[in-house]
Amino acid sequence: MKENIKAKLTEIVGQDWVVSNPEIIKTLCSDEAEIKITPCYDCIAAKPATAAEVAAIVKLANEEGIAVIARGGATGLVNAVVPIQPTIIISMERFKKIIEVDESNLTVECEAGVTLLDLVEYFNSHPTLYFAAHPGDEGAQVGGMIATNAGGVRTIKYGVVRDQVKSMEVVLPTGEIINMGGKFIKDNCGYDLKDLIIGSEGTLGIITKAVLALQPKEKYTGSVLIAFNTTADAVACVPDILKRGIKPLAVEYVERIQATNAATDIGQVWPVSKGSDDLYLIIASNSEDEFYEICETIVEICDAHNAVETLICETAKEQRNILEIRSHVYPSMLKKLVDCLDMAVPPDKIPAYMEQIRALSQKYGVEIQTCAHIGDGNMHNNIMTPDGQRPDCYEDLLDEIIQLCMSCNGTLTGEHGVGKLRNRHMKLQFTEKELELMRAIKKIFDPNNILNPGTAIC
Amino acid sequence: MRIVVLVKQVPDMERVKFDCEAGRVDRSSAGTEINPFDLNALEAAVSIQEQLGGKIITLSMGPAAAEDALKDTIARGADESVLLSDRRFGGADVKATAKTIAAAIKKLGGADLIFAGIQTVDGDTGQVGPETAGYLDIPHISNVDFISAYSETDITVVSNVMEGSYVKKSSYPVLITVTKDINQPRLPSMKRKLSARKAHIPVWGYEELQDYIREDEIGLQGSATKVKRIEVPPAVTRKGQVWRENVEEAIDGLVEVLKKAKVLEV
Amino acid sequence: MKMTEKDCKGILVFAEQKKERIHRVSYELLGKGKELAAQLDCPLCSVVLGPPDMDVAELIYRGADIVYHITDPMAFAAPDEVLYEQNLVRLIRDVKPEICLFGATNFGRSLAPRVAAKLGAGLTADCTHLAIDQGQLVQIRPAFSENILAHIQSTAYPQMATVRYKEFNEAPRDTNRKGQIKAMEAYVSDNSPVKILEEIVKEDFDIADANVVVAAGAGVKAKEDLKMLQELAELLGGKLGASRAAVEAGLIAKDHQVGYSGNRVKPSIYIACGISGAPQHIAGMKESGIIIAINSDPSAPILNIADYAIVGNLYEIIPKMIRKLKNMKS
Ligand SMILES: Cc1cc2nc3c(=O)[nH]c(=O)nc-3n(C[C@H](O)[C@H](O)[C@H](O)COP(=O)(O)OP(=O)(O)OC[C@H]3O[C@@H](n4cnc5c(N)ncnc54)[C@H](O)[C@@H]3O)c2cc1C
Ligand SMILES: Cc1cc2nc3c(=O)[nH]c(=O)nc-3n(C[C@H](O)[C@H](O)[C@H](O)COP(=O)(O)OP(=O)(O)OC[C@H]3O[C@@H](n4cnc5c(N)ncnc54)[C@H](O)[C@@H]3O)c2cc1C
Ligand SMILES: Cc1cc2nc3c(=O)[nH]c(=O)nc-3n(C[C@H](O)[C@H](O)[C@H](O)COP(=O)(O)OP(=O)(O)OC[C@H]3O[C@@H](n4cnc5c(N)ncnc54)[C@H](O)[C@@H]3O)c2cc1C
Repeated sequence: MKENIKAKLTEIVGQDWVVSNPEIIKTLCSDEAEIKITPCYDCIAAKPATAAEVAAIVKLANEEGIAVIARGGATGLVNAVVPIQPTIIISMERFKKIIEVDESNLTVECEAGVTLLDLVEYFNSHPTLYFAAHPGDEGAQVGGMIATNAGGVRTIKYGVVRDQVKSMEVVLPTGEIINMGGKFIKDNCGYDLKDLIIGSEGTLGIITKAVLALQPKEKYTGSVLIAFNTTADAVACVPDILKRGIKPLAVEYVERIQATNAATDIGQVWPVSKGSDDLYLIIASNSEDEFYEICETIVEICDAHNAVETLICETAKEQRNILEIRSHVYPSMLKKLVDCLDMAVPPDKIPAYMEQIRALSQKYGVEIQTCAHIGDGNMHNNIMTPDGQRPDCYEDLLDEIIQLCMSCNGTLTGEHGVGKLRNRHMKLQFTEKELELMRAIKKIFDPNNILNPGTAIC
Repeated sequence: MRIVVLVKQVPDMERVKFDCEAGRVDRSSAGTEINPFDLNALEAAVSIQEQLGGKIITLSMGPAAAEDALKDTIARGADESVLLSDRRFGGADVKATAKTIAAAIKKLGGADLIFAGIQTVDGDTGQVGPETAGYLDIPHISNVDFISAYSETDITVVSNVMEGSYVKKSSYPVLITVTKDINQPRLPSMKRKLSARKAHIPVWGYEELQDYIREDEIGLQGSATKVKRIEVPPAVTRKGQVWRENVEEAIDGLVEVLKKAKVLEV
Repeated sequence: MKMTEKDCKGILVFAEQKKERIHRVSYELLGKGKELAAQLDCPLCSVVLGPPDMDVAELIYRGADIVYHITDPMAFAAPDEVLYEQNLVRLIRDVKPEICLFGATNFGRSLAPRVAAKLGAGLTADCTHLAIDQGQLVQIRPAFSENILAHIQSTAYPQMATVRYKEFNEAPRDTNRKGQIKAMEAYVSDNSPVKILEEIVKEDFDIADANVVVAAGAGVKAKEDLKMLQELAELLGGKLGASRAAVEAGLIAKDHQVGYSGNRVKPSIYIACGISGAPQHIAGMKESGIIIAINSDPSAPILNIADYAIVGNLYEIIPKMIRKLKNMKS
């Protein structure tokens, strides 16, 4: 790292906000991905507080020909924030302000470093509105969630992050600050640059501010837990529920062992004991009667699919407990985890896909535990070994799973993104022409390839 | 075996608003739920009933809407519920509340075991359990986080008082107040929940209790404390004092803080 | 028999003892009681239940004018609310104090309501302030899970309250102070329906009930270094906490972890040593009373939520703090 870069960064953000201590830098070079790649530790970090400061850093990087990575909550699962060459790490943690709740347009304007937990807690005490999505780990930042177009457990009714973003302020890789989108519902003017930035994994621009959609709070919410004796029964239920016009906030699937391990790990108890496979639905409605009617319909459908137990949680604490356990599934398996896959397939293919996964697990003698945002067909097949070491057959197994996914017309990643982990398999999903277009877009936005190089595309 | 469980309907504390300027508590957007510790009390009763049989009756004093809380207790395993509701019960402090509850328990014909929560999340006094035992003239054991044994005639529990944990054994009748550590309340099954919604909850007013309590012992009139006013302290703002160069000065400052917080006297 | 304002005089402080050691909250109550007694121009009394040979003069040194020493060789060795209540009620009926104060310890909060019920008195719970207004006791207490403060007055006598520990200053100790000790045999000493079989020692470590947490982060480099944090914690009567990074580095067991996927803690003092302040960590400790951070990085987010922060090397600061605290104690 060139000495003058530290001096220039200090000029931009002030001495306190430049971090060069190698020990601390080390802690800024990883995310939550289980498969670790080797980082380049020859980095320096800056913690700007305004879009102008971000722009100045980006311009400096262009002048110096050094890479830049915007670091959000670092909860990503695909090494997207891991530097692989000397880099200026821009930590977005000081963009902490929730600027305005617009009760007429149902939006909240906030800075990019606001975390999901900040939003959840802020709207817990709001009388009528809330941020309905739950895209990612609670430590994820608005900027990171937008950059990864995160999904999460509550997409069935209100969609993924892309559906929540009304407008954004973005610093381009060349240093200009632009605004895109607005509080309108419809917009057909020109190419949609906003949608290009969303999900670009920090390679086309650095988000500094965003306006997100809010939803009115439903009066009655509850979570329903349904246990089955077989995976087939559990997954077959899902299309039947959705077909009946029921739109829960979430339809999740979790293999029992994952749920009980996650619960134990945080000193809780998973409330169901019968059966082996669970569905977990969050239902919301404005009328109590409708709420229970939905519950009754669900009981009926699940009974038809041989459900063995159906429980309901209604108190805030009980619902939170379940969600906390669900959120903890990933951390609780880390000791044994080899790879957390993130394929998504069309809903009608789910039963076949799951059956094949089970067959592959048997064929290779490798444990694959699954939890899934099953309502969106987004499957987290977790390849696991007793010690978390990669088995020799890992590559072959992975290849077969990817082929399976492609044969189901699925996608390699439903929500975690490509990062620096899934690039090598993109050729299996895209034609050379498609990949070329992506590279060309990157080139136009970022002619010097300084913004998070090696990420999201190949 | 007859087990009575005392439950209170409380506002969902995550949604209650505290108006600092007006000094008011605004529960309007809050929704209600069963006081969380009372679910532990109910769970303790249900797990004993599973072994010994008998009947669980839940009892609540509150507005008509507290019926929902009692229906929920039926979904969670209670056999019967009684709601004590009467405008004349309004404004009760712990004394009047406990006397009214005691009267209702007498009307029920008494109980072998009574479970209550250690405290509520709203009134938060933790006194209703022990005072009810006092007015019934039966013993109580408080702050219980473990039930070691029970039979048709007595119960042995661990009570956390006097900076220790004491194993206490009592014959019936006895009232026990429980903490959240005693158990993990199970969730109601959906089917029980759906049928409990249709349950009929008897409501007792003063008329039903008049053989057991005088009218000047209930509600505001029967109370011995008065809430004169409430104030909502402003949310804590962190001091944000940062020492940078002079370590000695910083340590002196910190020691002052620790002294003020009374943590040096151990 | 109802007590009225006219018959009642004096302040009575219940002194809780275990193994003949008096709980410090009793001295705090005597400190506050002295102030109130001066305003009311009335005597300050204390009652302690214990064995006959227990030394109760300490209560005089701490400000009591009269100490009622209810004696029995065995009966008050264990926390039996029924026996305590029966004796206290008899005494209170005889002495007729206008104000009765109990420490809001677990035992006080269990005993005082029984006593109040037997006397038909009101009882204000867990007070943090007491004052006299026109001859009446004004009792201020937090409610709604600490979100509000209620001002409460009793409308019956005696005016009874339980009072939170560590809210008031202990009465100074004056061994020259004179007062009266009235020893009396217990009115009731057996036949309690509750049998106290034994006191047990619980071994499970629970950081959630610590009053002070000293927490180690990745800034603590080695397991041996935890010793100094442990020492600091012990000096403050606290327990050791940790960030996930410290747990993952194998410094300390997972049940010490504070945070979103660890324990939520709410101690009066939280000292974060070498912890950067990731949102998942903050989620577990942000409701602490006072947050102190020791961190060498001026840009660490923990500084934003700290009441007091030292930017510096914890290996220099913590030993110095320990030395200073030890000097003060000796
Ligand atoms: C326990 C756990 C559960 C999770 N559950 C889910 C889930 O249910 N659904 C889901 O979709 N994901 C989930 N994730 C993954 C992760 O939480 C999401 O990908 C999240 O959106 C990442 O946000 P972040 O702020 O942590 O981003 P980071 O990890 O910091 O960054 C991710 C990418 O975004 C870029 N970026 C960050 N901030 C900005 C910015 N301001 N401007 C431009 N680019 C930026 C980075 O450069 C990087 O390329 C989970 C992760 C964990 C650990
Ligand atoms: C701000 C405020 C402060 C107050 N302070 C005092 C005070 O200091 N002294 C005083 O005497 N009164 C006080 N009150 C009145 C007191 O809150 C009410 O009397 C209340 O009905 C019972 O007290 P609690 O909520 O504190 O219950 P707690 O004593 O905390 O409840 C313990 C257990 O008793 C049972 N229980 C409690 N209430 C009921 C019920 N209504 N029906 C059935 N079971 C029940 C439950 O099992 C519960 O878990 C106060 C009220 C307010 C609003
Ligand atoms: C799903 C999920 C759940 C999580 N749950 C938790 C949780 O429950 N609890 C938790 O803590 N974390 C949790 N985390 C991890 C969290 O994101 C952070 O990684 C973690 O808190 C960092 O720990 P740390 O502050 O000790 O380490 P670091 O972030 O590495 O910080 C170390 C700090 O020590 C300082 N330091 C270094 N040397 C010295 C010295 N000599 N003197 C003074 N200061 C020094 C440095 O300046 C730095 O600020 C979770 C993460 C995820 C994704």
